[in-house]
Amino acid sequence: MIGQTQKPIEEILEFLDGKEKVVLVGCGGCATVFHTGGETEVKEMADTLSQHGKNILAAIAVPFGEFTCYAPWSKERLKPYRKQIEECDAILMMSCGDGFQVVRQLVLEDEFGLVKPMYPATDAIGHMGGGPTLFREKCMQCGECVLGQYAGICPMTQCAKGLLNGPCGGSKNGKCEQEPEHDCAWILIYERLKKLGEMGKIKEFVPAKDYSKMKRPRQIEVAPL
Amino acid sequence: MSLKPSLEAGKFVVTTEVGPLKGTDTTELEEVAELLLGRVDATNVTDQQSSVMRLGSLATCHLLKQRGLDPVFQMTCRDRNRLALQSDLLSAYVLGIENVLAITGDLPSLGDHPQAKPVYDLDSVQLLWVIGRLNEGYDMVGNELKGKPNFFPGAVVNPGADTETAFELQLIKMEKKIAQGAKFFQTQAIYDVETFAKFMKRVEGFGVPVLAGIIPLKSVGMARFMNKNVAGVFVPDELINKMAEAEDKAKTGIEIAANLIKELKDISQGVHIMAIGSEKRVPQILDAAGL
Repeated sequence: MIGQTQKPIEEILEFLDGKEKVVLVGCGGCATVFHTGGETEVKEMADTLSQHGKNILAAIAVPFGEFTCYAPWSKERLKPYRKQIEECDAILMMSCGDGFQVVRQLVLEDEFGLVKPMYPATDAIGHMGGGPTLFREKCMQCGECVLGQYAGICPMTQCAKGLLNGPCGGSKNGKCEQEPEHDCAWILIYERLKKLGEMGKIKEFVPAKDYSKMKRPRQIEVAPL
Repeated sequence: MSLKPSLEAGKFVVTTEVGPLKGTDTTELEEVAELLLGRVDATNVTDQQSSVMRLGSLATCHLLKQRGLDPVFQMTCRDRNRLALQSDLLSAYVLGIENVLAITGDLPSLGDHPQAKPVYDLDSVQLLWVIGRLNEGYDMVGNELKGKPNFFPGAVVNPGADTETAFELQLIKMEKKIAQGAKFFQTQAIYDVETFAKFMKRVEGFGVPVLAGIIPLKSVGMARFMNKNVAGVFVPDELINKMAEAEDKAKTGIEIAANLIKELKDISQGVHIMAIGSEKRVPQILDAAGL
């Protein structure tokens, strides 16, 4: 899931300066779990912005489970609000950058033929997993998963330096020198490989990573569901 | 005096280190170089240590070489990708630099530019492999070089790693570094000779020289700071008390360092003195240690 926090209201008001008629779009995916764009937050944002003198033409709440980054769903969700979107001065998108850019390009531009000012209400902070309350970055989508080599612990995300032939000399009391609350990933990898009887893996030289698999922006074409 | 021949001759080697300053004024560097000439086998130049932006190791190594010292070009993986690392290695060789210390490098968040993008395209073991390839006359993707370098690569190890697992990992990594061509090791600062002796027993079969790190103490505050913040460094209470009771802190710090060196003579292949700003004291330390 995409971990996210809501931008400070001051920043949002700066975006919307001079824009009176606003449409809010939430997201039923990660934004609901992280309380940045769920039904509750959309309602709250509508109230807050109204108090600041904005005219909320539509506050589009999206039920939990429906992620706006999946274009077929976003198109259906936004079609009934086409008029309000056409009329508004700005759209405030309460989701991560995936949902934002899908709505902007595939729905508003490609489907409705509209080019409108659109602003983010959210800062995405990492591809995370966990819950119900604590989430932590797990995967950085390197394109070449090496979890099989490291006893199921990803050194790219769990090691602050992303070392493949770790550790560095910086661990103190089994914790990372950058984040004293975080366990040194290499100590975890060592201990898990030991339990699995696979110590050979940590003794092997791992060659340099192929970062061409992370050339931006990546894309893929698949059969529809 | 130079590193490779001294190590090969089985001499007790002395290396030291300079950390370039922030700016283009090289006066102090040149003064230190004068004092070190003829006293040390080699002089490391740190690569933006502690992630603080400073004058580069490459330029500084070249300056030291011009003044007759044998530099060790410290190269971290924090700031440059594989293209820049290979290129800087070739540049170093062209400027007469042969000794390279391949290290990972501190995180930017620890230094004065915490907003910087960390690179770590390669790690220290991969960097050693790359140095080996360049020595063979090829870049890391197999292209033949027109003119090849002949580097003498080294690496670091932390014998003071503070948990059993961390210690075992240091040994595993040391073996990997040797397999990828490391010809010498310099360690983090040693204050407890017994712990270091245990470490040396474990690695004696590896057949690669180890130079024990020495950081001369300057104050009680410094010792406590290192204990709290520097991984793998542990200054025992006995030495902290000695510093606390000392009237002349600098003199006592020098004495402690010299004593450590004397004790380490029989169990290591040399010492690496990191004076952290007080490089001008190094000759006194060597005098006191009888070197």
